[in-house]
Amino acid sequence: MELKFTRSLLGALALSTALIAASPSLAAGKLTVSLSQDPGSWDPVDTFLVAWATVATNIFDGLTYRGPDLKLVPGLAESWQVSEDGKKITFKLRQNVKFHDGEPFNADAVKFTFDRLLGDEGSKGPQKSNYAAIEKVEVVDPSTVDFILKSPDPVLLTKLAGYGAMIVPPNYIKEKGEDYFNTHPVGTGAFKFISYEPKIGVKLEANPDYWGGAPKISELDYKFITEPATAVAELQAGRVDIVVPPIIPISMVPTIKGDSRLELMSVPGPTVDALRFNTRDGITADVRVRKAIIMAVDRKTIVDAILAGQASEIVSFQSSLSLGYDPDLKGLPFDPEGAKKLLAEAGVKPGAPLQIDIRGNDATMNEVAQAVSSYLQAVGLNPTIKPYELNVLLNDIIPQGKTGALFQQKWGGWTFDYDNTAYSMYHSGEKWNPYEKDAELDKLLESQRPMTDAAEREKVLKQIAAYVNDKALELPLYNSNAIYGVNKRVKNFTPAPDNRIKLNEVTVD
Amino acid sequence: MIGFLTKRILQAIFTVLVVTLVVAFAIRLTGDPALISAQGGGTVTEADLQRIRVALGVDRPFYVQYFGFLKGLLTLDFGRSFVGGTPVSQLIGTALPATLTLAFASLFVSIVLSIPLGVKAATTRGKWPDQAIRIFSLIGLSFPNFWLATMLVLLFAIALQWLPPSGYDGFSSYIMPAVTMGLILTATNVRLVRTTMLDTLRSQYVMVARAKGLSETKVLYKHALRNCAIVLLTFLGVQFGGLLGGIVVVERVFNWPGMGTLAFDAVAARDYPVLQSVITVLSALIIGVNLLIDLAYGLIDPRIRTQ
Repeated sequence: MELKFTRSLLGALALSTALIAASPSLAAGKLTVSLSQDPGSWDPVDTFLVAWATVATNIFDGLTYRGPDLKLVPGLAESWQVSEDGKKITFKLRQNVKFHDGEPFNADAVKFTFDRLLGDEGSKGPQKSNYAAIEKVEVVDPSTVDFILKSPDPVLLTKLAGYGAMIVPPNYIKEKGEDYFNTHPVGTGAFKFISYEPKIGVKLEANPDYWGGAPKISELDYKFITEPATAVAELQAGRVDIVVPPIIPISMVPTIKGDSRLELMSVPGPTVDALRFNTRDGITADVRVRKAIIMAVDRKTIVDAILAGQASEIVSFQSSLSLGYDPDLKGLPFDPEGAKKLLAEAGVKPGAPLQIDIRGNDATMNEVAQAVSSYLQAVGLNPTIKPYELNVLLNDIIPQGKTGALFQQKWGGWTFDYDNTAYSMYHSGEKWNPYEKDAELDKLLESQRPMTDAAEREKVLKQIAAYVNDKALELPLYNSNAIYGVNKRVKNFTPAPDNRIKLNEVTVD
Repeated sequence: MIGFLTKRILQAIFTVLVVTLVVAFAIRLTGDPALISAQGGGTVTEADLQRIRVALGVDRPFYVQYFGFLKGLLTLDFGRSFVGGTPVSQLIGTALPATLTLAFASLFVSIVLSIPLGVKAATTRGKWPDQAIRIFSLIGLSFPNFWLATMLVLLFAIALQWLPPSGYDGFSSYIMPAVTMGLILTATNVRLVRTTMLDTLRSQYVMVARAKGLSETKVLYKHALRNCAIVLLTFLGVQFGGLLGGIVVVERVFNWPGMGTLAFDAVAARDYPVLQSVITVLSALIIGVNLLIDLAYGLIDPRIRTQ
C-alpha cells in the first residue's frame, strides 16, 4: 500500500516535471504600445500605413526579414537564389511552420499570397504596384517556390520583408472570407491576434509555437492615440510602455527626458524634408537663383535650434541609412555673401517676392519655414509662407504644378532605397515631378532599375544624387529622427528606424 | 396635434437631407481618397489610383454616389469605410453610445452644479456668494475646453495619478471629460438659472407661497424652479447640439472613441461614407432632440398643452 502510494507520487512528480519541461519557456507580462493611427484593416494588401506595419510585423512574416539593423535576413524562406539575368528567384522555405489557425505554411501559401496580391483583391489596395515586377509565383515542391519576374527588381527582396508581401493563410481566408480576415488577421508571426476594436485598439497574445522562439511577454496591447499630448500623458501615467513615432513632438522631448521613469530613444528614420523648387516658372527657373537660395540657408542651425538635434542635415533628398547615400557628397555651403552675388548675377532685384508652400499641420515645418524665410530676407529676397491643408497640397497643388517658388516635400520610403524617392521626384511625368523634364536624369534613373549588382546600382544612385545636387533641384533640409518614448520597465527593446518593432525579445519588469 | 407633429417631422427629414447633400458635396471637393490611401507608397501610377477609385466606387458620377448613399440610409446600410472596409454601421454602433453617454454625463454635471449655484446666486443677489458665483462663471466662459482638459490631465492623471489620462474604460474614465464639458456648460447655465430665478422670485405666486408659510427650500425648489425649468430645458436642447459639436475636441484630448473621433479621422482620410453617415446621424439626433424638447414643454407646463 505504502509502496503503491510512493510509486504513484513519484509518477505524478515525474509527470509534472515532464509537463514543465515540455511547456515552452514561460512568457509573462503585458506590454502596452501607443499607435498614432488606426489602420482600419489588418490585411497586408490594404494599406501603406506605418501604424499597420508596427503591429503587423508581430502577426505576419515575410519570406525575408529586416529588423532594426536594416540587414536583410531569412524569414519564412531559409535561403534564396537569384538567377543570372535577375528574372527568377528561387526560395527554399522553412519547414514545419504553422499559421496561428493551425494550417501549414508551404509553397501553396506563398503562391496564394502573391496571386491574391497581384489579382483582384490586391487591385483594391495600394500595395499591388510595389510588387508589379513579379509576373508569377510557381510552386516547385512543397518547400520550394520560384518567383518569375517581368524585369529584375533589385529592391524586391527588401520589399518581400514587409507590407503587401506578408504571407497569409489560404484556407482561413477562403473559409472565413476577405471581410472577416480584415479584422481577424492570422499569420505565422510571433504573436497571435486576440481582438480588434476600431478606434480603440488591438490586442495580441504570444504564439508559443513561433518558429523563431516563443516571445518573452504574454500579451501585447496596442492603443490608438492620435493626440500627441495624450500619448505622452499616458506614458507619464505609466499606462503606456512605448510610444511609437511619429507622434512625440520635438517640444515634448524635454518632458520625457526629464521624467526619471522614462527613456527617450531616438534613431534616424526614413523621413526627409526638403523645400523643392519650381524649376519651370519665376526666378527659381534660373539655377543660379536656386543655388543662391540653398547657400542662404543655414541648415545646421535649423537642425540644432528648431529640431533640438532630433534630425540630421542632408545634402541629398534621402536618409543616411538609404542605399544611394553618399557621405562624400558635399552640398553647397552656407554662404550668404556668395548667395547675394549669385542673385545679383542672375539679375534678381532686391525685395523680389517668393512663395514657400508648406503643410499647415506640420508644426515643425511651420517653424522651419519661418527660419528659412528670415535667412532669405537676409540676402534680399521677400518670402511669404503659404500653409496649405495637407490633402490640398498633395492633391491639387504639387501634382498640378501650382506651387510657389518653393514647396515642402516630405518623403519616407520604408525600403531605404534612394530609387523609391528619386524616381518619384525627378523622373519626367511622375506625379511628384510637375516641373522638371530632363532626358539625362531620366536615363540615369531608368538605367539603375534593372541592375542586379547592388554595388553597381549604388554607384548610379550616387550619381543621381550628385546630378540633382548640381542642378540644385531642391533645398534639402533634414532627415528626422524616429522618436520613441519608452518606460524604463521595458527591457531589451531596440527602436527601429522604420517603426516595425518586433517585440518577441522584449521583457517587462 | 397630429398635423403639427407630421409637419415638424417632415421639416426635420428635409433638414437632414439638405445636410447630407451639402456634406456629400463638400467632402468631394477636398481631395481624392485613393491618393490618400496610396500616401507613403513608392511609385504609384495614375492607373493604380484609378483601380483604387473603382474599388471604392468614387469613379462614378456624384449623383449616383449620393443616391446610392440615400438608398442605403433607408435600410440603415451606411456602406463601408474606405479605410479598412469595416461597415460604417458597426463603427457608429460603438461610437454613438460613447458620445451620447459622455454628452449626458456632461449635461448631468452641468445640471447638478448650475441649479444650486444659480439659485444661491439669485437668493443672495448682490452679496458675496452671488459675486463669487458670477466671477466663477465668467472665468468658466472664457476657458477654452482643450486648455481645461489639459490642465485636468496634468493635475489628476500625471501629478496625482488618481484618474486615467485618457481612454473609454469604465466610470473613472468619464470623470475628466464630463467635468471638462460640464464645467464649461455650467458657466452659461448658472447665469441662466440666476436670471430666470430672479424673475420668478419677483412673481406673485412666490409671494403667495411664502405667505402660506412654506419653507424657503420648498418655495425655491418646488414652486420657483419648476417655472424656471421651461427656459432651462429649451436651453439644454440648444446646448445639446453645441455639445455634440464641441465634443470633437474633448474626445480627441481624452482619446474618446466617439463620433467626434470618427468624424475627425474620416475627414483626414477623406473617408466619405463614414463622414457622411456620422454627420447624418448627428444632425438627425440634434434635430430629433429639439423636436422632443418642443413636445416636452407640454409635460412641464400644462398651459402649453392646451394651447
